[in-house]
Amino acid sequence: MAKSTKTSVGRRGFLKGAAGAAAGAAALVQTTPILEAQTPGKGGGAAPAGGAPAPTQAQLDRETGNVRPPAVVRTITRPGSDLMVQTIRDLGIEYVAANPGSSFEGLQESFINYGNPPNKMPEFITALHEESAVTMAHGYAKAEGKPMLALLHGTIGIQHGAMSIYQAYYDRVPVVMLAGNDPDFIAAHTAHDMAGMVRSYTKWDAEPKTIDEALIAIQRAYNEAITPPMGPTLVVLGSEIQKDNAPNAKIPAYKPPQFVTVDGTRAKEIAKGLVEAQNPRIAVGRLRTPEGVKLSVELAELVGASTSTTATGGPMSFPQRHPLCGPGADTAYDYTLGLEAAGAQASITGPALAKTAAVRDTVNIGFGGTVAGGGRGGGGGRGGRGGNAAPAIEADAEASLPMLIEEVKRQLTAAQKTRIQERSAKHAKANHEARVTAIMQSVDSKRAGWNGIPISTARIYAELWPLIMNEDWCLASPSNFSGGHHVQLWDHDKPYSYLGGQGAGGMGYGAPASVGAALAAKARNRIVVNIQTDGDLNYAPGVLWTAAHHRLPMLTVVHNNRAWHQEFMFVEYMAGVRGRGDDRAHIGSTLRDPYLDYAKMAAGYGMAGEGPVTDPTKLSAALKRGVAAAKRGEPYLIDVITQPR
Amino acid sequence: MKRYWLILALTAITASAQRGGRGDGKAPNNPPPTSPVTGNAAAGKALFSTYGCYACHGSNGETGARPFVGRWGNLATEQVFVTFLRARANVAPLAPSTSMPSFSESALSDKQAKDIYAYIRTFKSTAPELKDIPALNAIVEAAKQDKK
Repeated sequence: MAKSTKTSVGRRGFLKGAAGAAAGAAALVQTTPILEAQTPGKGGGAAPAGGAPAPTQAQLDRETGNVRPPAVVRTITRPGSDLMVQTIRDLGIEYVAANPGSSFEGLQESFINYGNPPNKMPEFITALHEESAVTMAHGYAKAEGKPMLALLHGTIGIQHGAMSIYQAYYDRVPVVMLAGNDPDFIAAHTAHDMAGMVRSYTKWDAEPKTIDEALIAIQRAYNEAITPPMGPTLVVLGSEIQKDNAPNAKIPAYKPPQFVTVDGTRAKEIAKGLVEAQNPRIAVGRLRTPEGVKLSVELAELVGASTSTTATGGPMSFPQRHPLCGPGADTAYDYTLGLEAAGAQASITGPALAKTAAVRDTVNIGFGGTVAGGGRGGGGGRGGRGGNAAPAIEADAEASLPMLIEEVKRQLTAAQKTRIQERSAKHAKANHEARVTAIMQSVDSKRAGWNGIPISTARIYAELWPLIMNEDWCLASPSNFSGGHHVQLWDHDKPYSYLGGQGAGGMGYGAPASVGAALAAKARNRIVVNIQTDGDLNYAPGVLWTAAHHRLPMLTVVHNNRAWHQEFMFVEYMAGVRGRGDDRAHIGSTLRDPYLDYAKMAAGYGMAGEGPVTDPTKLSAALKRGVAAAKRGEPYLIDVITQPR
Repeated sequence: MKRYWLILALTAITASAQRGGRGDGKAPNNPPPTSPVTGNAAAGKALFSTYGCYACHGSNGETGARPFVGRWGNLATEQVFVTFLRARANVAPLAPSTSMPSFSESALSDKQAKDIYAYIRTFKSTAPELKDIPALNAIVEAAKQDKK
């Protein structure tokens, strides 16, 4: 690292030593040696005994604008933060979301000014809260299968982001976070071990001391984030290494991570099982990236296997309307393979979260869910239900797929190919019929309460689907509180069709995750749908401004039941079983008196919208306006007064 | 701890949603009971709101976790309904629940229960015939299309 040209007196000491206003002015241009400027008897006031010295005459002159600022003598031609930005850009990271903080001013300046023309990738996304910034990255990663950055300010920014970090960790989602650390500025914003605050629920962290170390750490943070079990990673960057000149530093050559795959012998066995089976079955859970989804389709088509999917519950799984997706023509499967899905004869699942939690979750904050075999610790998805499940093979299914595909191709005979073609056609017919039957039953059930007031949640999903079914869409918000009607009605055919739940059941997720998904959608001619529960929106509604400011293609439909309804029902039950009656159960879990007006809230943040919509016959027209806005690349909010569920 | 329970509930709700939420997916269409009603429906309407009945049964008895319009299971007669309210599990649970709570007479009098019953009996299905709902027909037609 190049040696700093600063004086040895830090800003903290300077601030202690000078009157606030004068100090602020002097700190703008660090040309006058600070040590000298603070020395009593050199044109400044003497320090009172035991207190801070009075500002110098030079400082007072500068403060009152009586002198021109002296020429800058500290010229930074190649700041370390420029190299950091180039490193991040080289990783293909598209966005960095941040709420401003003085501890990363050097890095922020590089994000917006580095290069000629000034940097646009990663694009700087203005967040109004660190929790929103991290959840944006959470939503983006689930939509794209790769990380974006969240930039956090010192201790306070990390703490603001902590809940979102915890959710991303629990959800096994790759998020790369950088945090500034300026030990010389505001003591309350620094810590000796800044990452320690969130270590229990980050996968990896580092606090490099030099620019060279920092560049390596950024690359490693990226690799650690995307390697199973995926999760958030954090690099703490001191302000010095952001700002110092680094004329001789070089960006190290990037080495992609190595993913653990099944070994060659196992690949041959699995391929043999699939090729020789009369009726193979593949259960596809949550893979890492869209490429994995593509490969799973290729394998299923090669062997003519019927498949199951988790696409209605989360991202990166097999397309729901693919002809092979469904129970198939015959449910007596004689060979089953699980891809990130347990319970099959051969289940390939990535390492459990417990692998990292065991060494990093020193305070056992994971509520037991990170214990091996519990909660989300194991591989997601359902097994192949083969009846004779074997212990899971700990490897990355996505990384193993190319080997499996090659081995299947090598083993397939012409006769088998013909048989597979015939089987695939039968599966396609059976799956199509099963799908139509399921839809017929579902639409019948959705009629219930169709014309009721308040508006039924089923009607929201049902009216919306015909408006977006021919668009490239992403449902980014969790649907479990809104009835989950898309599960039965919509086709989840893309890796990002539905992004699933919050990760750890934490509120304040829907809107920022949708904004993250909308960042992914913006350049890809895609629209994002956010069926937004009202209680959830009120944690950090400022993210609506981010959507408006960055002109994101996002339709928000507020499922406004004027309550944290789940909790309301819990309290009702508790009051009931205690025999105290339910007439006061609303206290603390409903949003009444006054009612919130979300269209006005959106307007306040600069987002177009309408509502409250109370008449079910007016819903469809409102949704049409909303979809049209999103297709134009604009966010739009519709406040719908709904049934509780 | 609150969030832990929330997760458990979410899991249950999601599983329920993925099953269709209401059994076989068919909208039940049993005719409403015709037994005598002695309560005051107007008073029952206020109680239906105050006591949060709508939370699980929807404002019209047609939606939510436990819709009853078209089913009418424990609503055959006023007495069946009152007995049902009194007979629910009354042991304080360790885990949060959205089950139907018990209503002792001290919490909800017979008169109040009968008023609620009278209000419930005014409920009618708002579900149109499928042929009259363009959105649902569009969904069916789209599902019939082969997709590759």
